[in-house]
Amino acid sequence: MKIEFPHGFRKKFEEILGDEFPLLESCLYTKPKECIRVNTLKITKEELRERLESKGWKLEEVPWYENAFFVETEESAAKTKEFFLGYYYIQDAASLVPVLVLDPKPGEIILDACASPGSKATFIAELTRNEGLVVANDVNPKRIKALSFNLQKIGAINTIVTMMDARNIERLGMKFDKILLDVPCSSSGTFISSFSVLEFWSQHVVERLSNLQKQLLKAAVKVLKDDGILVYSTCSLDPEEDEENMEYAIRRLGLKPEGIELKGLKYRRGLERYGKKVFENAKYAIRFFPFDNQTEGFFVCKLRK
Amino acid sequence: MQVKKMSESEKRELERIVEKNYGSKLDLSNYDCYINKRKEIYIAPKNLDEKLIEISSYFGVYFGKLKRNEKIQLSVEGSQLVGKHATRNIVIVDDENIYRFMEGLECKWKELINCEKNNFVLIKNGKDFFGCGMLREEKIESLVPKARRVMKTIKKV
Repeated sequence: MKIEFPHGFRKKFEEILGDEFPLLESCLYTKPKECIRVNTLKITKEELRERLESKGWKLEEVPWYENAFFVETEESAAKTKEFFLGYYYIQDAASLVPVLVLDPKPGEIILDACASPGSKATFIAELTRNEGLVVANDVNPKRIKALSFNLQKIGAINTIVTMMDARNIERLGMKFDKILLDVPCSSSGTFISSFSVLEFWSQHVVERLSNLQKQLLKAAVKVLKDDGILVYSTCSLDPEEDEENMEYAIRRLGLKPEGIELKGLKYRRGLERYGKKVFENAKYAIRFFPFDNQTEGFFVCKLRK
Repeated sequence: MQVKKMSESEKRELERIVEKNYGSKLDLSNYDCYINKRKEIYIAPKNLDEKLIEISSYFGVYFGKLKRNEKIQLSVEGSQLVGKHATRNIVIVDDENIYRFMEGLECKWKELINCEKNNFVLIKNGKDFFGCGMLREEKIESLVPKARRVMKTIKKV
């Protein structure tokens, strides 16, 4: 069956990708590699590997994070004893990246401002080794349930879940060492997992979300400690939600960009221009498309206050 | 969340109840414990901001629920904390039956270790603890909450 991008999407990404556009198109017919992250709060990587391989699973270490595996298995990864026990978390391997860039450390006070369903918040909690505090916030009551459930399941003691519009996050009355701002977005980088996301894609939606994302950035900066780190990420491929907002954070909110190096992940630097827009700090950001690593596409940048 | 912070003596009492039921000496001295009106207990780091807890939707790890007659039903995570050193009310379940338990169905045991009928028991398979069940005359009732159940019988598509 032939699947096609929405008209405006095709035109936009032909312009951005040029000769590489057919590679993006080929992702309409592929699926991302299934990935699990070992929950090292409950089990070691070696023990989990042994248990899963003894059941016939094929495991391949994710090149950019040693405690995650691409898996091939006949059984559903969501129906095993190990999953029930919270020994691993199922997620797209791309969503490991914003947390790896954030680099959470034990003892830090960290905010995940738009946290549901919790793939990143659970990872942050795990990396802080239950020392310090992780505030996982979301605005949606239904998604809060999933977030709480997932945090419980990984056994993260040092977490607190709040439900508020992150544009009002100042009401918490707290300041954070680090903030992950993985904003609500058009999700255009995730069509490899589910094509249906593109049913809602339009240039108008992208622009509306870009405005919301700027408001979220503005609110997050207010609760970031001086010298604190903010990682801004989206699973959108659209420059309006990515490089444009990074430039906004630097020029209007006074944040300073920091370089990102991540071994094992195939990525490119941010777009330096799109249409008439020029993004001077694009070299500090990373973006990757679904065809780069057979994962969802992401944009990530690291900013210091 | 509407919870009350447990005093040090209440924490000691909780440790005593855990030991009485499961033979496991739990040391909660590095944590704060909170209890709500339904007697559900949460474990959290020391000295969390009370205001933050009040406005939170969830925090820490749900440990278990106190029941009448000094009984305690542990969550999966609670059973994993307690199970390592437990000596009483442990039920060993084989592979087939552990999947029934995870689905929320009644299951049978392979071995009982110092068990008391009509009491909460720790469910163990291999060296893993899967939460609590209720031990009856001929079977174990699964107490896995709906959201946590695994529907093994539904095949992968």
